[in-house]
Amino acid sequence: MSTQRELDDLVKAGYEAGFVTEVESDTLPPGLNEDTIRFISAKKKEPEWMLEYRLKAYRHWLTMEEPDWAHLKIDPIDYQAISYYSAPKKAGEGPKSLDEVDPELIETYNKLGIPLEEQKALAGVAVDAVFDSVSVATTFREELAKAGVIFCSISEAVHEYPELVKKYLGSVVPHTDNFFACLNAAVFSDGTFVYVPEGVRCPMELSTYFRINEAKTGQFERTLIIADKCAYVSYLEGCTAPMRDENQLHAAVVELIALEDAKIKYSTVQNWYPGDENGVGGIYNFVTKRGDCRGDRSHISWTQVETGSAITWKYPSCILQGDDSVGEFYSVAVTRGWQQADTGTKMYHFGRNTRSTIVSKGISAAHGQNAYRGLVRMGPKAENARNHTQCDSLLIGDQCGAHTFPYIEVRNPTAKVEHEATTSKISEDQLFYCRQRGLKEEDAVSMIVNGFCKEVFNELPMEFAVEARKLLNITLEGAVG
Amino acid sequence: MLSIKNLHVNVEGKEILRGLNLEIGKGEVHAIMGPNGSGKSTLSYVLAGRDGYEVTEGEVIFEGKNLLEMEPEERAWAGVFLAMQYPVELPGVNNMTFLREALNAVRKGRGEEELDAVAFMKLIREKAELVKLPEKLLKRSVNAGFSGGEKKRNEILQMALLEPKLAILDETDSGLDIDALRVVAEGVNSLRSPERSFLVITHYQRLLDYIEPDHVHVLAHGQIIRSGDKSLALELEEKGYGWILEEEAAA
Amino acid sequence: MITAELQKSWARSLLEAAPSSPAPWLEALQRKAGEAIEQLPPVNRKQEAWRYTNVEPLLKERFQPVVSRPAGYEGEVPEAITPHRLVFVDGWFMPQLSDVALLPQEVTAGSLAEAIAAGDERVKNRLGSVAEPDAHLFTAINTALVNDGLFLHLPAGVKLESPIELFWLNSTDGETPRLAQPRNLVILEPGAEAVLLEHHLPGQGGHYLHNAVSEIVLDPGARLAHYRIQDESEQAWHFSRAALDQGSDSSYHGITLAFGGRLSRTEYETRFTAEGASCTLRGLYTVGDDKLQDFHLDVRHDVPHCSSREQFKGLLYGKGRAVFDGRILVARDAQKSDAELTNDNLLLTRNAEVDTKPQLEIYADDVKASHGTTVGQLEPEQIFYLRARGVPQQRAVHLLCEGFAAEIIEHITVEPLRDQALARLRKTLSQLD
Repeated sequence: MSTQRELDDLVKAGYEAGFVTEVESDTLPPGLNEDTIRFISAKKKEPEWMLEYRLKAYRHWLTMEEPDWAHLKIDPIDYQAISYYSAPKKAGEGPKSLDEVDPELIETYNKLGIPLEEQKALAGVAVDAVFDSVSVATTFREELAKAGVIFCSISEAVHEYPELVKKYLGSVVPHTDNFFACLNAAVFSDGTFVYVPEGVRCPMELSTYFRINEAKTGQFERTLIIADKCAYVSYLEGCTAPMRDENQLHAAVVELIALEDAKIKYSTVQNWYPGDENGVGGIYNFVTKRGDCRGDRSHISWTQVETGSAITWKYPSCILQGDDSVGEFYSVAVTRGWQQADTGTKMYHFGRNTRSTIVSKGISAAHGQNAYRGLVRMGPKAENARNHTQCDSLLIGDQCGAHTFPYIEVRNPTAKVEHEATTSKISEDQLFYCRQRGLKEEDAVSMIVNGFCKEVFNELPMEFAVEARKLLNITLEGAVG
Repeated sequence: MLSIKNLHVNVEGKEILRGLNLEIGKGEVHAIMGPNGSGKSTLSYVLAGRDGYEVTEGEVIFEGKNLLEMEPEERAWAGVFLAMQYPVELPGVNNMTFLREALNAVRKGRGEEELDAVAFMKLIREKAELVKLPEKLLKRSVNAGFSGGEKKRNEILQMALLEPKLAILDETDSGLDIDALRVVAEGVNSLRSPERSFLVITHYQRLLDYIEPDHVHVLAHGQIIRSGDKSLALELEEKGYGWILEEEAAA
Repeated sequence: MITAELQKSWARSLLEAAPSSPAPWLEALQRKAGEAIEQLPPVNRKQEAWRYTNVEPLLKERFQPVVSRPAGYEGEVPEAITPHRLVFVDGWFMPQLSDVALLPQEVTAGSLAEAIAAGDERVKNRLGSVAEPDAHLFTAINTALVNDGLFLHLPAGVKLESPIELFWLNSTDGETPRLAQPRNLVILEPGAEAVLLEHHLPGQGGHYLHNAVSEIVLDPGARLAHYRIQDESEQAWHFSRAALDQGSDSSYHGITLAFGGRLSRTEYETRFTAEGASCTLRGLYTVGDDKLQDFHLDVRHDVPHCSSREQFKGLLYGKGRAVFDGRILVARDAQKSDAELTNDNLLLTRNAEVDTKPQLEIYADDVKASHGTTVGQLEPEQIFYLRARGVPQQRAVHLLCEGFAAEIIEHITVEPLRDQALARLRKTLSQLD
């Protein structure tokens, strides 16, 4: 078998979203101090309370230490070498309608397969497009407004819905939470705001598409989604960045709040630039995502397909406060080239009869290092709480690694926790069987890997599931070990 | 021996049995048949005293005593035996230890002497022979890793050992091939006596070819909607449950 | 939280008592360990290995290391189940209480201190080579204070018929609680086979600290079964670390049953140095009444074709707490490794707590590796099944707990010891009601 050649192909497999868009940008020179924050806040014409919030976070950040890099190998980040604000010049006052959006930008999103013109858009998916530090377009707003759903950029929400923002921003991820969340609270530029009122089932999938374009910038978006009582919303997030030979920082914060009987489904297909075949460049993806099942019988479900970034550090979590609330985490993480992923979830069971399910599928190829790190905590009041965790790792090639670090803390004897983990490779028998039935080796691998990930893909909304499968196939092209 | 009057039972707030009546006399074999979800297993668990089955109305008198007030083990001592549809696995608990614990607990409960190790071994060999349970299964953990047939044979072995007055067989035929079914049925038949009654719960008539009932009842929607002799079972086999349900609906 | 200062001052208070070293090579080893203590990070929750284990109350107590062999022992020595009995008091070998007369002549079984004093080359070559002196505070202290313990050596091909049985006892509590800190060295040359039984008992003592480090060298083809019953007093602090160096095709079969101690920490560290070796680690812990049972495993597959199996089960009651931290590492070239780790915990009461952390670190692709963990209560349907067969509720719970524990105990191949273990377990269970 020509393993070596195929491995070579694998590490060279292209990154299709690696182009750069030529637009004139307003980019703040690198550096971070209180003036940077005042500048960002002024640029967004923010009210005083928002500036105060940022400054408080910044002052706290100065007292914090960078986290210890667990299982990751990382070069030190120079926070003064990053630009904290970059916006396409023509973005102006923020998007009013699609006609005002720079055609270059619309073309960029078209190339990425995200048409912003509503007539061309995927049926039933509304998109907020975030380009570097600003939201450049949000589609289907009027139709959503009819249902009472608020879907806009967080900058707009600060102006239009200050009470909602004040009430919920930082209520799940306080600025003191961790180093990167704190930095985000100080310098966050844009992101998406969703509010689904009581009893409303959001009539379409909402999605945000994040694009880092400018060099030497960091992206610090902030997403806040609130599902009021009995509301339902499904939200999708996609991300790409150009190929650059420096590491770029993406430190986002996502907060979800589900009130009584509400359900939020949050799906991510993350395809940030992973760096080249020598491990040069790529995005550092340090994200804090947390959902709060605040009301009884609320339900938050995270699904993620992580194929990109040089380093991913991300633990979408659920705080299960409401009685009978449900938290779910479905994840596929692929590392190849020199990628490192340290991802997983935290399930905090506080309420009675709370349930959580964790399904994590890690695929490591080439020199990729893939770690699952998860916490399941059963609090003293979590009567009859249940968790089931399944972590499976698939290794392709003998240069990669797959690691599992679960933490299980049980403070209530009526709670029940089950954790299982396995590590395997694609067996010669499986490959032979497929090939004997006439499949090409590469197709056989892709089929087996897709089968391995099926449980997670099944959780994705249809359009995304197709996308995720395609992405996985491209990512693993030639990955036969 | 057993008298069930107007029995109403809720499971998780939902009414499963809705006024069930049944009289079983000494030495009689009764079969209860019914479609899935009719409440057959609920009846067997209520009689054995499992948690989670809330009796909202009615009474169950067993040998003059109120069965519903008794703990599960007290019912076992009194002579109620439930052969379960899905016998529970007890990892690490040696089958022999389990059988001896159960036998001696029941004997004690009945005011009899406990058996010593030698007498017990003799008895168990004899009974295992009866249901053709390989001796190696006596040395393993209770039901752990047993095949479907082995589990059911282990149930009948326990029945033989504990000598109940009322044996309830809950879907004993499920998951058995014809040979295993025959062995189990032979075991049951050898235990038939004028002193022992049986309540055979089954979905299919098949089992009743081997264990011939005196009375057959049809359970649907939580009630016994028809009773008859064994010919009722044959009729059900031929026509299915549909006609009887339709007739009931029409009535 | 434990600070570096607290840790250093605690360690210094113990090392003050150290007498001069009997041999220059040992002095070098001890000095190295002493120096390491000054550099070691404090054993507090900031360190992964101590995240759930709080030893601050221990470090706030003062202890007196026992630096010479006790003159005698007034208590009773429990009966041995084998002809080869070695008794240790406060960590020191007591020849007058021991009986090794029936061991084959070529076997060495006795005092480490004597072997050091006699200039035994085997000890000099191997002591400190398996257990990293600076693994953490407690290994470093043990190393810095090495005095006595077990030295067991089997020449190539010697297969012992009967087990060797060790009793660890303590003399009456002094004014300052005592620190017993035995250092054990076990060497099995190629093809040698032995069974080693250990009983950790309070003896005359109540409040003491037992801090043992065992270094076990298994040469190619050697086989060791090593069963430990830890039944320390309820006020005792117990630390034991077994470090294994396994040669090709060697096999280690270790079982620890941990019943006692206020805080008991059991550590295993396995290194496979050549292909074909296998290691089985099993453990059972019962814990209640504000006690802590703490288990740490570190199994490294550095070479191909080795297998390891780790199975640990805990029964928790009262306000008992358990910590389990098990790591299996399969290094890049360790293809065809086979590793399986499980940890199951039964919580019998309201206030019991468990923190468990089974970990896999895999750097090779052609491996079989898995882990599984459960935490929960007895299954209601199991209790019902037993009750439906006439077994009363309480007895049903006992039977199920015994069944749960039996999956560890049944692996003890020495029958009288298995019976002792079962009896000991029943004693704990009977106290539950």
